Amino acid sequence: MIRKSLTAMALVAASPFASAQSVSMCVFDVIGANGDFYNFVKDYALEMKGHGVDFQLKPYTDEGVAIGDFNAGQCDAVAATDIRIRPFNKFTGSISAVGAIPTYDNLKTLLATLAQPKAAPLMKDNGYEVLGIVPVGAGYLFVNDRSIDTAGELAGKRMATLDYQKDAIHMVNYVKATVVPSDITNFAGKFNNGSVDTAYAPAFAYEALELYKGIGDQGGVVDYPLAQLTLQMVARDEVLDDETAQKAREVAWGMFPQAMNLIEKQEAAIPDGKWVRIPEKDIRGYQEMFRENRIEMRDGVNGAPDVYHPKMMGLLSKIRCASNPSAAECTAANRE
Amino acid sequence: MISTLVTFSRRISVAPLKLLTAGALILLAGCSANPIYTTTGVVLSNYSEGEATPYVLQMSDPKMACALGEGIDPLLYSFSRVTDAPDSTGSLLMLLAGNCAEYKAWEAELAYLRADYQGNVEAAKDAREEAKRLNALTAKRRYASFQRAMAAYEFDPSVEPVECPFLFSEQDELTFLLGLLTGMQAIVNDANSGAMAGVPKNIAPQAERAATCLDNEKWGGMPNAIRALVWLLLPDTRPALSPDPWQVLEHSTELGAEKGMRVPHALQAVAAETFGRPEKLEEAIASFVEANATIDVWDEYRLVDEVAAGVIRFSSDKHWSANYGYRTPQTYFGKMSPERETENVETMSLDGLL
Repeated sequence: MIRKSLTAMALVAASPFASAQSVSMCVFDVIGANGDFYNFVKDYALEMKGHGVDFQLKPYTDEGVAIGDFNAGQCDAVAATDIRIRPFNKFTGSISAVGAIPTYDNLKTLLATLAQPKAAPLMKDNGYEVLGIVPVGAGYLFVNDRSIDTAGELAGKRMATLDYQKDAIHMVNYVKATVVPSDITNFAGKFNNGSVDTAYAPAFAYEALELYKGIGDQGGVVDYPLAQLTLQMVARDEVLDDETAQKAREVAWGMFPQAMNLIEKQEAAIPDGKWVRIPEKDIRGYQEMFRENRIEMRDGVNGAPDVYHPKMMGLLSKIRCASNPSAAECTAANRE
Repeated sequence: MISTLVTFSRRISVAPLKLLTAGALILLAGCSANPIYTTTGVVLSNYSEGEATPYVLQMSDPKMACALGEGIDPLLYSFSRVTDAPDSTGSLLMLLAGNCAEYKAWEAELAYLRADYQGNVEAAKDAREEAKRLNALTAKRRYASFQRAMAAYEFDPSVEPVECPFLFSEQDELTFLLGLLTGMQAIVNDANSGAMAGVPKNIAPQAERAATCLDNEKWGGMPNAIRALVWLLLPDTRPALSPDPWQVLEHSTELGAEKGMRVPHALQAVAAETFGRPEKLEEAIASFVEANATIDVWDEYRLVDEVAAGVIRFSSDKHWSANYGYRTPQTYFGKMSPERETENVETMSLDGLL
């Protein structure tokens, strides 16, 4: 009891506003505290201060280390990409499922849906709670030869693949391309020096990591979102009460236009001529291929890893069919 | 009525004279601009480069220098309409103008941190928004400065392998080097603006390559400090067998202090903030302050050291404002907390006196 009140007094002395709850957050951004997304989380933190939570942010340029520190209890919350969030919440960690969100409008619908109070139970899993989801941009396929514009063309091609991204590895194997294990720090170099033929990344990488060098005169960026990457804020469940956690998710959702503004700018930095537009009939083929893979990775069959949450796959399918009811998948027998 | 007639008759008599003069000028100048303007432009450009720039680089008042940049840049650079663009001086003037915008952005940032510390969310938001706008302005000016510095030496930073520019004088070398540094700063400012300025991020790897064109020892570790910062940001750019970037930064601060130009300290502080390394930040600030006692500032380029001092002081002020709600008290510059050193001092017994 005495110890508790001493701690409380120490807290009062340390902060002039004892009413604001202090929560430490490890924040991943490829370029640290001067990165676009770290700055974005700063805005989120400021907004949350108005709701009584004082986030203390710490930048990390290595996502694995950020997650490690969160696991080790060095921070109460973490902001990292969807793929790394999967162990804490398989449902929201499945947002980046391959080809599951073909447009930013679909993504908008999804994030609006998840920000509703009704979705709160889905945000808790395993003793952790998701405090907000922010888009980082779609992942695109970068190729060193424009003729690699169909899944068939990928066969035999070397592809830089994040070694911890099980679903991507499965997809690369599925299209009979060769997995070249990589991480965020070296995939661009491999693409630029020609040791791989293709890589996938958000538009941000085109300029910052000089992927145009790997693209050269012959290559391009395939204009079809392979997956939607999101940054998710996750905390241990006991850190925030339910009402505040819901507020946090609404705050993050309220920042959607700001994030999209950033993404649109990054995509606009890719010159028009560098985009590889693919014909509508090919897109339909792609969609079916992705869908079959998602089902495999939802059910963990045919040697696929069991990584996608069935409820998220169902919700995403509903969203796609609401915006495009004539798609074949909407009447398929094995709808997600 | 009469006065109108007089004016009219005057106009008639003056008109042929004006026509003649205009004709002569056109002949003199071919069909291009006014020759007096062209000559003035050449004279001013040469004067700026030969006299004004060395003078300004020796100044010890960065705020006055930045005001000069804001005030003179539009005038001097307007001569690019009548003669070759005065890019080398133009890049330095725009660099100074960028500093002016940044000083305002710093104040807004500190106001945000103070308000945040006090829990005044509205004031914090307002100040942060102000800081973002000013960062965007700074980023735009710095990007322009970078572009001019590259144009001045006909250097294309995107060409690989890098083709080093011809830098005839020491001042050229410094202008080029500062151009690279300013380009890097533009990226940081743009990120802090919420990407309002749209500065291309590939400046960072380009600057890394171009920095190899300069003598690291001669320039007090500045070129390698730039490279090390980029290696940290983009690990892909780090050559095989190169030393740890943090070590390079530390070594660069030593070289910088020896040469009397502490830019590497400022880069070390920026890196420490970017990568969330408080111990490195403390080290950078403390060693900058310690060097005050021993350093012999490179007189010809005193301004560069002063600008770096401003960056270090701002880093310290940010830390103090975020953690204590006020900027660094003068006697605490070099320390990260208000712990006094007056607690464990030996005292004498007063028993015999009482």
